[in-house]
Amino acid sequence: MMKVEAPDCNYGGTMKAIEAVDELTVKFTLCSPDPAFPYKIAGDSFAILDADYLNETGGDSNKISEAPVGTGPYKLKEWKRGESITYEAFADYWGEKAKTPTAVLRWSKEAAQRLLELQSGNADGISNVGPDDFETVEKDSGLKLIEVPAANIFYIGFNNTIPPFDDDRVRLAFAYGIDRQRIVDDYYPRGSVVATSFVPTSFAVGASPNVPWHEYNPEKAKELLKEAGKENLEVTLTYRDVVRGYLPNPGVVAQEIQAQLKEIGVNVKIEVKESGAFLDSVTAGKEAFYLLGWGADYPDATNFLDYHFGPENKQFGKPYDDIVALLKEGASTADLAKRQAAYDKVNELLKRYVPMIPVAHGGSALAYRADVEGAHANPVSALVFAVMAPPRDTFVYVQNAEPISLYCADESDGETFTACAQIYETLLRFKLGTAEVEPALAESYESNADLTEWTFKLRPGVKFHNGATLDANDVVATMAAQWDAKNPNHKGRTGSFEYWTAYFGSFLNAP
Amino acid sequence: MIRRLLRNRSAQVGLIITSLIVLTAIFADIIAPYAYDQQIRQPGLRRRSPPCIHLLGCDRNKPQLLMGLDSNFRDLFSRVVYGSRLSLQIGFLTTGAAILIGTLLGAIAGYAGGWIDNIIMRVMDVLLAFPSLLLAIAIVSVLGPGLINTLLAVAIVSIPVYARVVRSSVLSVKEMDYITASRALGASSARILFLRILPNSLTPTIVAGTLGIATAILDAAGLSFLGLGAQPPTPEWGLMLGEERNSVFNAPHLVFFPGVAIMITVLGFNLLGDGLRDAMDPRRRV
Repeated sequence: MMKVEAPDCNYGGTMKAIEAVDELTVKFTLCSPDPAFPYKIAGDSFAILDADYLNETGGDSNKISEAPVGTGPYKLKEWKRGESITYEAFADYWGEKAKTPTAVLRWSKEAAQRLLELQSGNADGISNVGPDDFETVEKDSGLKLIEVPAANIFYIGFNNTIPPFDDDRVRLAFAYGIDRQRIVDDYYPRGSVVATSFVPTSFAVGASPNVPWHEYNPEKAKELLKEAGKENLEVTLTYRDVVRGYLPNPGVVAQEIQAQLKEIGVNVKIEVKESGAFLDSVTAGKEAFYLLGWGADYPDATNFLDYHFGPENKQFGKPYDDIVALLKEGASTADLAKRQAAYDKVNELLKRYVPMIPVAHGGSALAYRADVEGAHANPVSALVFAVMAPPRDTFVYVQNAEPISLYCADESDGETFTACAQIYETLLRFKLGTAEVEPALAESYESNADLTEWTFKLRPGVKFHNGATLDANDVVATMAAQWDAKNPNHKGRTGSFEYWTAYFGSFLNAP
Repeated sequence: MIRRLLRNRSAQVGLIITSLIVLTAIFADIIAPYAYDQQIRQPGLRRRSPPCIHLLGCDRNKPQLLMGLDSNFRDLFSRVVYGSRLSLQIGFLTTGAAILIGTLLGAIAGYAGGWIDNIIMRVMDVLLAFPSLLLAIAIVSVLGPGLINTLLAVAIVSIPVYARVVRSSVLSVKEMDYITASRALGASSARILFLRILPNSLTPTIVAGTLGIATAILDAAGLSFLGLGAQPPTPEWGLMLGEERNSVFNAPHLVFFPGVAIMITVLGFNLLGDGLRDAMDPRRRV
């Protein structure tokens, strides 16, 4: 029986031990209470792989993407790079088998192209309906529109180590110089709201309506820039041309921001970057001024705040120690009032430091052909192709970008998760169309009173696509590959395992 | 020759179209009602509004928008008008540079012959072997996106055409008697090449150049469409098309007008080029 354990809790992470207690029982021990642990472990990054398979591939994302082995209702048939991914139903699946024998995932960057595919019957479902196409879909009796709740944030990010944004006054000036209301009114579809805080207001804690963001005030912005001696500033704004629920019109919004900043005397050069390269660059802290957003993985403030403003995140430059401390306070108790008090202070500090400007919580929608049964939209998790039942042999879904790999432990991108989620499964999963967790590979789970020990009972008889049977060692091996930097399988694609570090802090044995 | 040109029907049409575009470019400031990056915000005026022309019965209380508003509340007509400036600059600059370098290379290759000729022309062959847009994309990928780099890329890919044209005309005249006579009189190689031989290649170069402007405008628009050329908010036609490519069905005017502008300009230069060729070709004399 495998066990991985940290010698003490001072290594920088919050995971203390992961242990296979018996063949079908796994115990996670944490250094501090974590009310959101079930949500975290339901994330697609923590899908369970077969231990032997993981050893064979050495945890190499490229090798795993060639022939992924999971427990999901679909297995990979073929990934034609640049074209499509084809799945076929897995005959030995433990639960309800896939409704359609073949599922195809395709992608097209253009909203108009996706809609055309749907209208012409080449696709059964599409992601991110163009903000100007909501009506078109609704008027078409052959199609149906499913709106996705706005559990996301679109922000304008700064890096506080790259000039001119190392000057607090410049960031503050930009905050005054951007009219967020105008952006949302003009460029966002219905269902979108102007962001007052980083966390959506629909969450139990995290948003602070009593700490509203800076009012639009171009005069004050100009004064601040003058005070900082940064008049006639020239900056480069970077973004990726990928449509997201939080940013349905990247190019147009970038130009709007360009136009708005011109009014306060800032000349903005716009640069579009390739999606993967852009994210890597942001994560590495190399982008000075950029457009990005975040869709919820689970409905808790920790998912928004801890991920972005925790001690490990370099995307805004140097992390703010006082914010880090408050975040720890907010995450270490289940008492909502105490948590909200901590997050109110966090929001005050975010407003003062302006590491980013929260702009909008964007509404978005998926569209399906009207005859697709089981059509759904999930607020925080990936779509489940297995429940989709069009009256045809194949379910075709067109999303807006190609997945980066098929090993999602080392990925953070929604399109990639959609591809992984059909093949792999997690201990717990999100109920269709909701943000609540339900048992998946684990039949049941329980925790001790202070939320530091979580024990999962695995479902017996679950088969992997390679014929192996799921046991507790597979779970430990999967987690250890991400957690332990000295583990031979700790490789991935870039080795950053973003979700692990975001949820559980530093790696064990980090170099 | 000019009379012959003016009698040619396609040249007439081409000349009219190109002159109109040149005039538009020169007087863009006067013709365009707004600046190309000015947002027109009025209550009740939505972005991507369709054209509103008072003469055609549009409500006179609304501002006149000949081609409608674009996605960022800017007057599309003004942008298309300013775009003519950019496209013409791109066309003339790149073609000019390409002719200059191409002529020089072709003349040297043709006149010197031997291994020099071999080296220059094989390099040109290699350049020609690539599809021009693909090569331009490769060059821009290396140099980074931007208008200047696009100009360079388009200029580089169009060099071989002129080098070939000039070389062939140099080859055809360099063995003629009057060249030998000139040499016998003691003229230097440079003098013979530039004053005696090169003028012969003027005609084919002008024809190729006129047609080349059309190609250059198209290539530059293509690069901008792909996001590799001009960067927003520059009113480049290709860029405008590329940005609004998702609007084909819900706001067609946003792609229609820039597209038509590119088409008319390219058509104009192509007609003019064809007319020039017909007029200057001695065998086609009517």
